[in-house]
Amino acid sequence: MIRVGIPRALLYYQYCSGWKTFFERLGAEVVVSEPTNKVILNSGVSRAVADTCLPVKILLGHLISLIGDCDYIFVPAITSLGEKTYNCSKIIGLPNIARALIPESPVILDPEINLEKGRYHLYYNIYKTGHHFTSNPFRIEKAVQAALESHSAYRRKMSDSGITRIQAISGNEDKDFGCTPGKENSMRIAVIGHPYVLYDDYVNHNLISKLRSMKARVFVPEMVPEAMLDAATTRLAGQAHWSFENDIIGAGEYYLEQKIDGIVNLSVFGCGPDSMMVKFLEHRAKELGVAFLPLSIDEHSSEGALLSRLEAFIDMAKRRERVCV
Amino acid sequence: MRVGFPHFSTAYVIAKAVANKLGALGHELIIPPPMTQKTLDLGVKYSPAEACLPYKLTLGSLIEACELGADVLIQARGTGICRLGYYARGQEQMLHDLGYDAHFVNLDVSEHKIQSLMQLVRDLTHDAPLSRIISAVFWGLNKLFALDKIEKVVQKTRAVETEKGEANQIYHEAINAVDEAADRKEVRKITKEYIDRLNKVPINHTANPLRVGIFGEIYVVIEPFANMDIEIELGKLGVEAHRTMTLSRWVKYSLFLNYLGINEWRKVHQLAMPYLDHDIGGDGWESVGEKVLYARNGYDGVVHIAPFTCMPEIVAQNIMQSTREDIPVFVLISDEQMGKQGMLTRLEAFVDLLEFRRRRNGKTI
Repeated sequence: MIRVGIPRALLYYQYCSGWKTFFERLGAEVVVSEPTNKVILNSGVSRAVADTCLPVKILLGHLISLIGDCDYIFVPAITSLGEKTYNCSKIIGLPNIARALIPESPVILDPEINLEKGRYHLYYNIYKTGHHFTSNPFRIEKAVQAALESHSAYRRKMSDSGITRIQAISGNEDKDFGCTPGKENSMRIAVIGHPYVLYDDYVNHNLISKLRSMKARVFVPEMVPEAMLDAATTRLAGQAHWSFENDIIGAGEYYLEQKIDGIVNLSVFGCGPDSMMVKFLEHRAKELGVAFLPLSIDEHSSEGALLSRLEAFIDMAKRRERVCV
Repeated sequence: MRVGFPHFSTAYVIAKAVANKLGALGHELIIPPPMTQKTLDLGVKYSPAEACLPYKLTLGSLIEACELGADVLIQARGTGICRLGYYARGQEQMLHDLGYDAHFVNLDVSEHKIQSLMQLVRDLTHDAPLSRIISAVFWGLNKLFALDKIEKVVQKTRAVETEKGEANQIYHEAINAVDEAADRKEVRKITKEYIDRLNKVPINHTANPLRVGIFGEIYVVIEPFANMDIEIELGKLGVEAHRTMTLSRWVKYSLFLNYLGINEWRKVHQLAMPYLDHDIGGDGWESVGEKVLYARNGYDGVVHIAPFTCMPEIVAQNIMQSTREDIPVFVLISDEQMGKQGMLTRLEAFVDLLEFRRRRNGKTI
């Protein structure tokens, strides 16, 4: 059986269920790399140029850890997911970076998903990927249909039942996580960030569990339905140029309007899109008088520093509430 | 209305020429002062900490223009991939917060470039006749082409002149002379005169200077303040700097020839193909290709200039390391923390390395 490796990094958190279904329907076995750990992080960091952002370094580490376990590695170049919206250059050039920095890796499957280039380009790229497993185009089409269904089910599951990606992936629907009835008095904190930082517990030093242990109710971008995200983004920043900025700015604006008690923005040092967008959000939070904590992490950030900043933030937000009431 | 724009190398010459040609239409053109440490400090103070250097510098320059009274600001806009797409939005908000009542007009630099330029000039001139706008734009470009022609000669002369700094002095005089020229004939005359003067600069005839190619992100490559005058410094060390990217080339192709299906980067993109097969925004694709091109053309080394955290250039850097074509690369990351002395020490070491490499390969200097 052909084995396809999917690195548990970057866009995995967005599309894991669709990708898995696609390859499984084509008769391949899917190998997902281990959750990030020190070895993975260090091996990734050692390959890339120092200025590269942390998520890309981690992806490289996951790729290295998959060597020997699979025949193909799946690293798509997701360029554009809509009219006049693009992704960050690093996501667009991902397979090329991987190939240049890890010459010993297995064959990299790198379909370019660029909806700006039209339907034919998309079909061609999907067929090109599926062709490694079967030469029957109808079988590939069926796999695509199944993948789409599985992806939208995954997305719906998150926004309907208010759970995070980690829970949706693992099937653990711990209701205590988000909006819990009966705990109206506890603080409501929105954690805004890209899924690959929010749910990689090694990278963010268990930020979400830390907040929960401080008796805060945590809200994440996935709990907002997609249409609301789009509307909120357009309100705050106009026509969005970057596909994944909805997570930051749309969710931020949405929660600000819900009069949340505080917003924690978790971003990675050197993230190009975030560096511009967070400013809009910060501005808006200031206008509305909502506590806003921008946290920037990289491979050197320490758990202790993060914890003290979080504690200080929660104390501040509590005091603010008391003063306002 | 008082129209301002961010300083960008010699771009102010075009703006001035176009404005003069269009005459008094109730506007005044505010020319921002050349970039200084003050511009940078202003920009850094009011920008998001992690924004890239061109954002900070252009914001600083726009603030300076506002201080001089500008109320309409011209800023570049792009769709997509790199941060440029949000320059105008972020800067407009910041200027508003600072209390300047400035209105932004955007020049689209990624698609519909010529339409956007025409629209911009039309908006600013209250629908002046098209023929007059076209002739004014061409008049501005005429000056730009003259300047870049002179600069090419300056780049060659700098490396071999016996008295360092002379070519540069002449270049500065040339910029002023071209800026003040009143008609095409005079521009031609000035161009010829200054090129003659440059050719008469005493040079070391036996020198066979090292040749270095410069490429990277367009703003920091072209604006001397952003790259700490690296071309002049290379010239002082006796190295000939070559740069493909110039304002006139950008204008010539992006505004005109691209519409005829001629792509100036076709060859560069082809050379980059084995390593990077699609556009990644900004100038990343071109950077990879240019490194290969310079290596193939037998240059001694290349200088890659990128703003700190520039997304396309980081991708290019990662990919560039593993090209088969081998050539020493000097990476200059420019941001507000950069210091000239540090850069000079590295540059000297780099030039020594190139000399050593050339000697080892059996060529004489």
